[in-house]
Amino acid sequence: MAAQPIEQALPTTRDSSATAFIELHEIHKRFGGVHALKGVSLNIEPGQIYHLLGENGCGKSTLIKVIAGAHPASSGHLKVNGETVSDFSSIKALSLGIETVYQDLSLLPNLTVAENIGLSQQLVKSNGKLYRKLDSAALIQTAKQALRIVELPVTPTFLNTQVDRLPIATRQLVAIARAVAGSAGLVIMDEPTTALTKSEVDNLIAVVRKLQAEGVAVLFVTHKLDECKEIGGIGLVMRDGELVCQCDIADLSKQRIGYLMTGREIEQGRYRAPQQAGERLLTVNQLGKTGAFSNVNFSLAKGEILGITGLLDSGRNELPKALAGVEPASEGTIQLNGRLLSLHQVDDAVKAGIGYVPEDRLTEGLFLDKPILDNAVMGILDKLRGQLGLIDKHRATEHTENMVNDLAVVASDVKAPVKSLSGGNQQKVLIGRWLATDPQLLILHGPTVGVDVGSKDTIYRIIQQQAESGMGVIIISDDLPELIQNCDRIAVMSDGRMKTIVPVEELTEQQLYTHIASGNKATQGVAL
Amino acid sequence: MTAISDTNTKTMDISDSANVYQKLQQWLVNHPIMFPLLLIIIVCLVVGTIAPSFWQMANVFDILRASVIRGLFALGVLVVLAAGGLEVSFTSVAALVMYSVTMLVTNYMPELGFFPIMVMGAIGGTLLGVVNGLLVNTLKAPSLIVTIGTQYAFRGFLLTFIGTALFMNIPASMEQFGQITLVTLTNDAGFEVKLPAYVLVLLAAALLTWFILNHTLMGRAIYATGGNPDIAERLGFKVPQVQLFVFAYAGFLAGIAGILHVSSNRLANPFDLAGTELAVIAAVVLGGARITGGSGSVGGTMLGVILITLVSNVLILVGIPSTWQTAILGSFILIAGLFFCFTDKKQA
Repeated sequence: MAAQPIEQALPTTRDSSATAFIELHEIHKRFGGVHALKGVSLNIEPGQIYHLLGENGCGKSTLIKVIAGAHPASSGHLKVNGETVSDFSSIKALSLGIETVYQDLSLLPNLTVAENIGLSQQLVKSNGKLYRKLDSAALIQTAKQALRIVELPVTPTFLNTQVDRLPIATRQLVAIARAVAGSAGLVIMDEPTTALTKSEVDNLIAVVRKLQAEGVAVLFVTHKLDECKEIGGIGLVMRDGELVCQCDIADLSKQRIGYLMTGREIEQGRYRAPQQAGERLLTVNQLGKTGAFSNVNFSLAKGEILGITGLLDSGRNELPKALAGVEPASEGTIQLNGRLLSLHQVDDAVKAGIGYVPEDRLTEGLFLDKPILDNAVMGILDKLRGQLGLIDKHRATEHTENMVNDLAVVASDVKAPVKSLSGGNQQKVLIGRWLATDPQLLILHGPTVGVDVGSKDTIYRIIQQQAESGMGVIIISDDLPELIQNCDRIAVMSDGRMKTIVPVEELTEQQLYTHIASGNKATQGVAL
Repeated sequence: MTAISDTNTKTMDISDSANVYQKLQQWLVNHPIMFPLLLIIIVCLVVGTIAPSFWQMANVFDILRASVIRGLFALGVLVVLAAGGLEVSFTSVAALVMYSVTMLVTNYMPELGFFPIMVMGAIGGTLLGVVNGLLVNTLKAPSLIVTIGTQYAFRGFLLTFIGTALFMNIPASMEQFGQITLVTLTNDAGFEVKLPAYVLVLLAAALLTWFILNHTLMGRAIYATGGNPDIAERLGFKVPQVQLFVFAYAGFLAGIAGILHVSSNRLANPFDLAGTELAVIAAVVLGGARITGGSGSVGGTMLGVILITLVSNVLILVGIPSTWQTAILGSFILIAGLFFCFTDKKQA
């Protein structure tokens, strides 16, 4: 069942915080020598929306894990419904109505929608014991109720659909449905909108509003300041393990939030004046790929930054892959410096001087378990070859150390595995690897997805620097402020066509969004 | 709604033949059980055309009888595979259990009835399965490696400490059970063909496995673990308990299979059963279970077993040289790989 109004569940509350669902008081958390939370106090009230903001490594994740019972606090009190909870754990948190939608959604890909939503309740009922008969009727019942809240269909076909067959936006809603299937008092959502398009985000926001109206508190962990502002609620800004700000998000300007998060001023305007078209670098003529996009024409000058945006199914994800030889185009031509390229595989593109930083750096770009060093030199092994064709370790280390300095990668040691770095620093390593190959054209696909404000700034500066030195850059992104801040021209894709290319001068976010949304009929409703 | 219509229009662009292939592939992925069924039908039609003597009830009995041991093994493999593991020690478990139990009963209680003997076999198999499960949980090593290890260890233990000699004078109750017949037929060649009662054991095991997988929380926990163990753990499923259960259950079935093997063959040979592991795993995979775990059904597995039995036991009866069997099986498995693995890649 959807959340009960929390007030009714609080007959015995006392003192000033009579309405708080959760109270944190002076919570400290230490991991060995690391002091991750330094005395966080926070009240979470029913029906309120919170936005937890902060750079990677500031303690955000630790805080939500403490609230979700995944990490016990080292010291401090935690009260739920006004009562101190002593043996706080994940199961306890769940039974008290604290639900978390993790960034990876934690859905079981091979189980059905109904099972993903309803199984947890059966587990709670059986107290974790598995030698029990499955109550299929109750399972379906739970799933249907929860799906109605998030406005997904409740047809048997949908209930029995395996989750890995659903589009990502629908999975997101299924994960939320699971969270509200119990009587949730608080739903924590860890970066829920990273993979969603604007209309899908709007859909999600509508669901959040509905939860709010039913008295459920929602805590967003996010990097997208614009969205927070749009949703409204209370901004919680963390820096270095402390909650530095707790106030209405409407009262905080983006600059102010950036300052609170990083402790330094972050540039908000454009990074440089739009460039006049110089010598032509890339010409794309009649490019098409069956089932993805067709008849795409554009050109790019040296030193120019071109943005490409559009909805998820507009072909904007497939076009860069064709340019990088990852998924070759089926028709049309690509010319670089007037030379016709035939790109059948990634290697062809690399040899031609095209670098491609993929969208999903975790699975497509980096060897997470390998050291920074191995990742950084991956593209230039040829150049590092010494006698007998062996890799010159000394030069490789030197190269990597230079890169780490140049790109301001925060890392203890170049031998540390890449997965130990924060998202922003991982991305810098990946970009650094491509820069080392000295490409003429660099294609960045979602360069700052899941990257904090501080690292974003560094990455933008790197991109601008490279463009200054004559490299052609293409950025594919649905982060509109990012495109406007960085690009000279922005191409909008829709239904597999490049609909328009607009110069960025005087372009506002609103205008750009209108370009994206107009002409595409797929902007409304939940994708199924 | 939009996404589905979009993919449809996209596939429409592709040429017709590719479209048909894609549709077939999609249909098979949605109905994995049809894959072994189609192959069975094709094999029967082809063989039946070449050798009309194939069409007789006696052959059905042969297939069923020859499917029992492999079927019991396959159900165990299915359950382990569904939980994301791999188990290859079941033949050693069966051999160790059948030889030790037969020897124990013959030497100390030769008058023991069949049911208690089967219970002993089931308990023995379960205990060895628990060893597997505990090793997988404590070593945190891939279960394939662990069970390759225990396969050798169990077999080594059997041959070193228990015996290597063929055991002919098995307990009377075991011998009798193997002879109980449900139906007797005379085939075209004039021989009597019997449908032994022990096929009912496979039927019961299949029903039990089906019930566990589809109608208990443990069943859902098994698939959840096979889908993604980390997420399953995070959602509150006790993954170590699931591991222990699936290996114990596979051992349980292997123990019973061992006892039935002795009853039907009327002798206990400690060297028997070794080397049949891959055919069993192949049967489960042909039945639509992914080798990477998290899927598979009892129905599909049973059809996979029948398909393998059909090819390896029955073709020879109608005069197709045994050298062809391996080639045919190999090509079936490659086709299965073609259909199921390619779609996996696309989905990822």
